[in-house]
Amino acid sequence: MPLSPSILSVLSEDLLVRVYGFLDPPCRKKWRLVSKEFHRVDSLSRTSIRILRVEFLPALLSNYPHLSSLDLSVCPKLDDDVVLRLASYGAVSIKSLNLSRATALRARGLETLARLCRGLERVDVSHCWGFGDREAAALSVAAGLREVRLDKCLSLSDVGLARIVLGCSNLSKISLKWCMEISDLGIDLLCKKCKDLKSLDVSYLKITNDSIRSIALLPKLEVLEMVNCPLVDDDGLQYLENGCPSLQEIDVTRCERVSLSGVVSIVRGHPDLQHLKASHCVSEVSLSFLHNIKALKHLKTLWIDGARVSDSSLLTLSSSCRPLTDIGVSKCVGVTDIGITGLARNCINLKTLNLACCGFVTDAAISAVAQSCRNLETLKLESCHMITEKGLQSLGCYSKHLQELDLTDCYGVNDRGLEYISKCSNLLRLKLGLCTNISDKGMFHIGSKCSKLLELDLYRCGGFGDDGLAAISRGCKSLNRLIISYCGELTDTGVEQIRQLEHLSHLELRGLKNITGAGLAAVACGCKKLDYLDLKKCENIDDSGFWALAYFARNLRQINLCYCSVSDTALCMLMSNLSRVQDVDLVNLNRVTVEGSEFALRACCNRLKKLKLFAPLRFLLSSELLEMLHARGCRIRWD
Amino acid sequence: MEDEEEGEPNLHVFKASSSGKDNNNNNNGGQASVQGVKAQAWDPRTMLCNLSFMEQKIHELQGLVHLILGRNGQLQDEQQQLITADLTSIIIQLISTAGSLLPSVNMLSTTAPGSALFPFPREANNLASQTLNNGGASQELEDDAEEGENLPPGSYEIKQLEKEEILAPHTNFCTICGKGFKRDANLRMHMRGHGDQYKTPAALAKPPTKETLPGSDAPMLIKRYSCPFPGCKRNKDHKRFQPLKTILCVKNHYKRTHCDKSFTCSRCHTKKFSVIADLKTHEKHCGQNKWLCSCGTTFSRKDKLFGHIALFQGHTPAIPLEDTKPSAAASSQRGSSGCGNSNNNAAMVSFSLGSAANANQETSQPCVMDGKTSFEESFSPLSFDICNFGGFPRSIFDDSFQMLISSACGCSPINGGVGSVSDTSL
Repeated sequence: MPLSPSILSVLSEDLLVRVYGFLDPPCRKKWRLVSKEFHRVDSLSRTSIRILRVEFLPALLSNYPHLSSLDLSVCPKLDDDVVLRLASYGAVSIKSLNLSRATALRARGLETLARLCRGLERVDVSHCWGFGDREAAALSVAAGLREVRLDKCLSLSDVGLARIVLGCSNLSKISLKWCMEISDLGIDLLCKKCKDLKSLDVSYLKITNDSIRSIALLPKLEVLEMVNCPLVDDDGLQYLENGCPSLQEIDVTRCERVSLSGVVSIVRGHPDLQHLKASHCVSEVSLSFLHNIKALKHLKTLWIDGARVSDSSLLTLSSSCRPLTDIGVSKCVGVTDIGITGLARNCINLKTLNLACCGFVTDAAISAVAQSCRNLETLKLESCHMITEKGLQSLGCYSKHLQELDLTDCYGVNDRGLEYISKCSNLLRLKLGLCTNISDKGMFHIGSKCSKLLELDLYRCGGFGDDGLAAISRGCKSLNRLIISYCGELTDTGVEQIRQLEHLSHLELRGLKNITGAGLAAVACGCKKLDYLDLKKCENIDDSGFWALAYFARNLRQINLCYCSVSDTALCMLMSNLSRVQDVDLVNLNRVTVEGSEFALRACCNRLKKLKLFAPLRFLLSSELLEMLHARGCRIRWD
Repeated sequence: MEDEEEGEPNLHVFKASSSGKDNNNNNNGGQASVQGVKAQAWDPRTMLCNLSFMEQKIHELQGLVHLILGRNGQLQDEQQQLITADLTSIIIQLISTAGSLLPSVNMLSTTAPGSALFPFPREANNLASQTLNNGGASQELEDDAEEGENLPPGSYEIKQLEKEEILAPHTNFCTICGKGFKRDANLRMHMRGHGDQYKTPAALAKPPTKETLPGSDAPMLIKRYSCPFPGCKRNKDHKRFQPLKTILCVKNHYKRTHCDKSFTCSRCHTKKFSVIADLKTHEKHCGQNKWLCSCGTTFSRKDKLFGHIALFQGHTPAIPLEDTKPSAAASSQRGSSGCGNSNNNAAMVSFSLGSAANANQETSQPCVMDGKTSFEESFSPLSFDICNFGGFPRSIFDDSFQMLISSACGCSPINGGVGSVSDTSL
C-alpha cells in the first residue's frame, strides 16, 4: 500500500502526548479515531471522564488506566446496587469523584465507593437531598479526603458533619452551602479539628457570630465564603480582624446585619486580601472605607454592588487600588460616566466589569473602558438603557479579548451595534435578551464573525426571524447553549436550521407557537448532544415531533413539556425511550390522562431525579409509583 | 405484743387502723368495742375480756367446720354466711383489741423521739404523731432560726423512720376496714362510705396541723429526719450527719440509695430506677434528643456531645438507628398490655377468698421479690393497688377484708374500689 508509512509514524509517543495536550475535548474525541497509536495516547493521557451511562464504567476504567477524576453527576441510574456491582471489579485509583445529584445513592453505596477509590481526595455530593448523617458517616471512611462539596445536602446535620470532620482530618476545602441543618456546633467542631482548612463555604447557613469566632482561629484559611448569613453581624466580623492570618478572599454578600464597619474591620486586619466581595451589604462607600482599602496592595476583586458610590469616591478607590481586575458596581446609586471613566483610566488591568443596572452610564464610559482596559474579558451591562451602537463600536474596536458580554434589556442595541460587537471575534457568551431592536441583519453579523460563540441568549428578541436563526446556525458551529424563547417570528424553517449545531446541549424554545413536529424532529435528529430542552408552551408541536425526539435525543437529561399537546402514547414513548432523562416538567398537559401519566412515569421512574407534576395527580397516581419515585431519590414538585 | 416487735406486716395493718373507731354493727361487737376516740387508755381487763370472747368465737367456728367436715365437706349457703359473719366479727374484734393497745405505746415512746421502741409513728395517725411532736417540743425548746443546711446539732428534733415504714406505700389507713391511702384527704373521702358521722364538715375538714393546733402554744422545734441505714451519711449516727428535711425526702433518699433499682425504662430498657417518679421523669424524655457518642455515652444536649467529642480523640457522634422509634412504640404497647394483665390479676386476687387465705400463709414474711413485682405491676394507673407494703399479703388481706365487710355489713364494695383506683392514680 502506498500510504502505509504514514507521516504520523515518525512522531514519537511523547510528542504525540504533547500535541494531545493542546487539544480541546471535542478534538480529542476525533483524535482517538485516527489510529491505534493515537488511541493509545488518548487512553494513557486521559485523566478525567464524565460519563452518562454508568454501565460502561468498568470497561472505561480498564481502557483508561490513568483516570483520576470521575464525574458521575449525570448518570441517571446510579444507585447502591450499581455501585455494589462495580465493587466486584476491584479498587480503582480515582482521586476525584463527582456524585452531584446522585440522589439515589445512599450510605451503603457511598461507603462501597469510598472504600473502592483508594486515595480519594475530592468528593462532590452537592444537591443530593437525601445525603444525611448516615451517608456522611459512610463517606468519612475515605480518610484521605481533602476537598468535600456538600452544597444543598439538606438532611445533613451537625452529627454528619462531625463524622466527616473526624474521619477526614486533612480536609483543606469544604463547602456547606445550603446545608440548612448545620449550626454553630458543627462549624465549631470543624474549625477545631481541621486546622489545615484553606477554603470554607458557609453560605446561607443559620450560623451566628460564635461560628465566626471559631473560624477566626483557623490558621491557614484563605477563602471564606459566607453569602447571606443572616445572623452574622459586624461584631462577628471583628473576630476575623485578628484571626485567619492567611485570608485572601472573603465573600460577605447579602449578609443582612453586616455593615460597612464590619467590612472595614476585615480590611484592617488583612492587608494581603485579594478578593473582597461585599455586595448588597455595604450601603455607602465612606471615607474610612476608602482610607482602609488603600492599604490593600494586592486587591484584585472588589464587589460593592448595591452601595451608594459617588464619582469622587470611585475615583479615589480606583487610584488607590490600581491592580484591580474584577470590579462589581451593579445597582450602585450614583455611578456616572465620570466615575467609570476615572476607574477605567486607573485600573487598566480590569478583566471583569459589572455595571448592571447603572442607569446613568452612557457610551462615553463604555468607550473609555474599551480604550483603557484592553484586557477586558467580561462586561455586564444589563439594563443600561443609555448604551447605543456608539459604545459598542469602541468595544468592537478595542476589546479584542472580550469573551462575555451581557446586554440583556439594553434596548439601545440595534443591528449596527451587533455589527460592531461581531468584531470581538473571541466572544464566547453573548446575552441579548429583551433587545427588541435587533433583526435578521444583526444576526447575520454575529453568525458570520463570532464563530467561537458558545452561548447565545436571545430571550424575547422579537425582531429577528428564520433567516437570522439560519445565519447563526450556519456560523456559530460551537454553540452549545441557545436560548430563543418567545422569539415569536420563528417558524419551522428557522428552527430546522438548528440541526446544524452539533454541539448544542442546551436549547430553550419556550413559547414558540409557530413550530410544529417537523421543526422539533429536525432539531432532535441533528443535535445529538442535546441535554436540556425547554418546549414549554410550544402548543403546535404534534406527536410526530415527540416521536422523533424519543427516537433521536438519547442524551436528553432534562425536558420541560408544560402546556404541550403531547398525547398519552407519545408521552409514554418519550419517557420510556429517553433513557437518560432525569428531570421532567409535566404540568398542564391537556391531552394526557391520569393513566397516561402513570404509565409514562412508571417507564422512567428508576432514573428520575426531579419531577414537576400537576398537583391533583398526587391523589390520582398510584401510591406504589410515588413510593418508588421517592425511594429512588426523586423529588416531586406539585404545581 | 410479740408479733408487733417482730414487725409482722399483717399486724401493722391492724394496729394502724385502730385509732378512732366505733363501727360494730355486728351482733356481738358491742361489749368489746372501744368507746370512740376517748377510749385510748389501755385497760387489761377489757383486753382479757375481748380475748376470751374471740377464743369462744373461734371454738364455735371450729365446731361448725368440724360439722361440715363430717358431711363430706358440703357447704350450705346459710352455713357459709354464718362462718363469714363469725370470721368478720372475730377479725374486727381483733383489730379493736389491738387498737386499744396503740396509744398507750405511743405514750411510752414519747420520751425518746424516733427511738426503736415505737418503730411506726405513722404520720397519718395524727393523734400519735402529735403527741410525739409535742413531747419533743416541750423537751427541747429552740428557735427555728435556721432553715438551711447547717443546723447546729440539737437545734432540731431528729426522727428516724424504720425501713418498713419508709417503704410502705400508704401512710393513712382506714380505721374501719384497714384500707391504706397515700393521702389523708383520700382517706377522709373514703371514710364517708362508712357512715354519716364521717360526712360532717368537721370530719371532712383538714385536721389541724402542729402549727395551728390550739393546745400547743410553745414554739415548734424544727423537725429533721434520719435515714435508718447504718453508716449512711443521712443516718443520725454518722459523724457528719446531714439530716433530711421531710418524710418525702426520707422516702426518696432511702429508695434511691439503699434499695434495688427495680423499675426499668420501657423505652430504652437500660435505665433503672427505684423511685417511680424518677422513672416517669426519665420516660418523658427517654428517646428524644438522645445524643450518643461512639463510646456509648449519651447526652441530653447536643452541645454537651460536641464538647465531649472535641475533647476526646477518636470519639465520634453515633447515628441513631432508624428503627428505634417503632421498637419503642412496640415496647410501650407491650408494657401497656402487661399492665392490663396485672390489672386482671389484681381483680382476680381481690375477689377470691380462699386463695387469699393461702397467700397470706405463704407470704406472711415480706418477700423482696414479691414486693418488686407488685411494684412494677402497679405502675399503671388502672391496676388495683396491690403494690403494698409487704407485697401481696397486705393487699390481699385488704381486699379480702373489704369483701368480708361488704358481704357481712351490706356495705357497697364500690366504695373501696373507687378509693383504691383514685388512690393509685394520684
